[in-house]
Amino acid sequence: MMNRGSSSEDFRRVLGRVAPPDFVGRAEELDRILAQAEPLNAGRGLLLLMEPSAGVSELLRQAYDRIFNERTDVIPIYFAFTRNETTAVSASIEFLNTFLQQYIAFRRDEPFVSHATLTLQDLLELAPPADHEWIEQLVESYTRLRFSNDDKALVRFCLGAPQRIPAGRGRPFIMLDGAQLAEYLNGVVLLGTEVLRVFGRGGFTFVLAGLRRQVLEAAHDAKCNFELLDLLRLKRLDENEARSLVEHVAQRQQVAISEAARDLLIQQFAGSPFFINIFLQAARERRVALDSYLDCERLYVDELFGGHLQRHFADLLEEISPRLDTRHLLIRLLWEAAAGEDQISSFEVWRKRLHLTAGELQEVLHRLHVQEFVNWDGTTVEAGAGPQAWKDYLKVRYRLDVLNESRALVVADALTDALKRAPHTMARHYKQIARASLRELVLRFNTQRVPAVLFDHAAFSRRYKGLEPDRVAAELETETDMFKLPQTVHLASCVAFNSDMRQISEDERCLVAHTFEDASYSDAQEVVWLVADIEAKLEVDTDVVRAWYERFESLASRLNFRRFQVWLIASEGFTEAANQYLARQKALGSSRQQLDLLAARVGETPRSPVQYGSAPNEFLMVVPMGEDNELIAASTAEQIAKRLTFRPEAINQIKTAVVEACINAFEHSFSPDQKIYQRFRVESDRLVVTISSRGIVPTNLNGANSRPDTTEAAEERRGWGLKLIRTLMDEVEFEKVDDGASLRMTKYLRDTSS
Amino acid sequence: MDKTSAFWVRSHCVGTTAVVYASDYLNKLTGEKIERECRRQLDCGCRALVIDFGDTKLVNSIGISILLGIIDVAEKCGAKIVFSEVNTQTVQLFDMLGLTRHVALAKDEREALLTLSDFETTPIVH
Repeated sequence: MMNRGSSSEDFRRVLGRVAPPDFVGRAEELDRILAQAEPLNAGRGLLLLMEPSAGVSELLRQAYDRIFNERTDVIPIYFAFTRNETTAVSASIEFLNTFLQQYIAFRRDEPFVSHATLTLQDLLELAPPADHEWIEQLVESYTRLRFSNDDKALVRFCLGAPQRIPAGRGRPFIMLDGAQLAEYLNGVVLLGTEVLRVFGRGGFTFVLAGLRRQVLEAAHDAKCNFELLDLLRLKRLDENEARSLVEHVAQRQQVAISEAARDLLIQQFAGSPFFINIFLQAARERRVALDSYLDCERLYVDELFGGHLQRHFADLLEEISPRLDTRHLLIRLLWEAAAGEDQISSFEVWRKRLHLTAGELQEVLHRLHVQEFVNWDGTTVEAGAGPQAWKDYLKVRYRLDVLNESRALVVADALTDALKRAPHTMARHYKQIARASLRELVLRFNTQRVPAVLFDHAAFSRRYKGLEPDRVAAELETETDMFKLPQTVHLASCVAFNSDMRQISEDERCLVAHTFEDASYSDAQEVVWLVADIEAKLEVDTDVVRAWYERFESLASRLNFRRFQVWLIASEGFTEAANQYLARQKALGSSRQQLDLLAARVGETPRSPVQYGSAPNEFLMVVPMGEDNELIAASTAEQIAKRLTFRPEAINQIKTAVVEACINAFEHSFSPDQKIYQRFRVESDRLVVTISSRGIVPTNLNGANSRPDTTEAAEERRGWGLKLIRTLMDEVEFEKVDDGASLRMTKYLRDTSS
Repeated sequence: MDKTSAFWVRSHCVGTTAVVYASDYLNKLTGEKIERECRRQLDCGCRALVIDFGDTKLVNSIGISILLGIIDVAEKCGAKIVFSEVNTQTVQLFDMLGLTRHVALAKDEREALLTLSDFETTPIVH
């Protein structure tokens, strides 16, 4: 095994643009690439399949530096295809030059040689005496071929140069980056195919990174030996990795960024390291601090109109459609298809609208498909795909280039749209976090036996309502009526089956699970579970339950589900009548508490906690939500209020207000960090308590004037918290911030004699 | 049967009146415990309920909403309900949220039982 350490003080950065500790989020993938260089994998290739804009270059450069520093017999070679090369021949020559340069740098153990500007003659002079002979022969052969007019032979010679390293001088480990660019080079030689032909037929140990839709296809076309190929899919960064990436890059670029802005960037760019990097680079270049959503969206719009983002998408469009007239038509077609209701159209429709021959259109569609801007199956074209930034770019170009609208208007609209979208983006994300456990839970159904009462809210309420959680868990162990879960084999959102469902429920809250009872794969055992997580603060009534049941029944009928099982979930469960309705329909019903208990039995993967960072007259405290922790906040408020000599009655009022504010934060926010932030500020005549939380701000909070009237429907009972706070405290100020809300409550000291 | 375990709400019966003791903090969980106990007592034939708040120092709005549910349940069963030994701050909250319009308040358990004595008919032991 090679030494994987990279933290030693003498570690030298060669090609890496960031120091190893600052390279975050791809540790697993880095290890996998390094493993590819080990003797065990000699002669094998690794295809690194990435989503567009996933960002892979720095990963390969980090791998290069690690191998370079390890000083084993593995010689790292990193080559990136760039847009600067226009022909396969020039790209191959560049490869040869890079190979020799990096080989000599490694052999001399002199990193600077890797990135110096050197000619072949320079390299020959720098070659160590032991290597001089074979390198000289290589250069002579190259010079002969260079002027032979046999481009294919020259390309193969250049790409195959690493095979000429004499035995005993080390094993080359080739890392090729940006394979997709090889396809766009002019000339008679298809470089992408040649690359795979040379490397993919055995003999080389290599990594080839490229767009996932393209690399596999190219490997098939080049008739690669798949027995000698491994695949590694570059997944989207997870939440914590993306957060860490933004923080590291922001620090490196010396860009101040708030937590709210950080999280918005992650969502807006779907965790793409490429977009995050260029955006923060733009922030540094423009000297912009990213303190708020407004800061972020201003910069984003600037970028869309004339920054890195604009250049990135403009370059891609030019590659996809080099002719300007076609490009304009393409922008129009892409945007109109994406914005319209019917995003799917035929090849013929596209051909007519773009005025292209079938062959030309195939080329354009292939490139759009590879970049995942459309889904093209050879017959139909589905538009509307691609990252949000791409859609925004298309819209901007459409309005400017096709509609000829004024730039000022388009800029203003782009900015206001982005600002309006930001809170929705975050709200959707927070809800997804909260609901993720349901999806994970159903996916883990695998014939486990669980207490049947966990699917029967009526029975659960009768037996367990009001019991301590520990007691409930203990008593569930004694349940004898067990329910055998089916095995889930496929799970998708209802929306994936019927787009109309989007109007009723969010993706993650309404699921269709194809299952088999007893994991027995027969028609008789096949059951489709239709699951909905209903948003409600109180017990859900019969009308809502009936509506959901009928909706599912209709979906099952339309999709020919022979057997289906409806399972409804509501935070507080269901009313008695609703439970009876569920029982009549043989539908299952669970509260959030039952769901949690079920998850504990089925073996829920604990969600990795989200990591967040904390005046002489101020007390700051952060408490986790739940577990009666509002009492800790109340007790703190009491101690502080006593110092100010508040009367006992006032102290009790402050405590109650603090409790209500904490409950409010807990109940409403879908908080990402599940924490309540408290600030107690002591002034000579008053105590100011600020309770904050991150997450979604309930729409009714600002003006909240819920009337405490016991004759009103039960639904209104749970809106009393803010009313109580307003009555108990002297001043109450609600402040909505980008990513959450603060409630500032002030209580004045009164003259004790009054 | 009295339940004194930590998992149960303390209660006892005086004739057909059940006395249920609220804990020091009335929130969702403790409110549901009281609700559960009250329902149990009513199912066992109690005709009146006393909820004693002698130990209760703090209540929250969710706890209060559950108390309203208990009042509804008692009304549906034709049972009387009295809250006893409620501290001044809690009375204020009950007032604010309209509970006191639906329930009688008594200084202590004894006064509550006296208030209900007219209502009591046949003693039931359970």
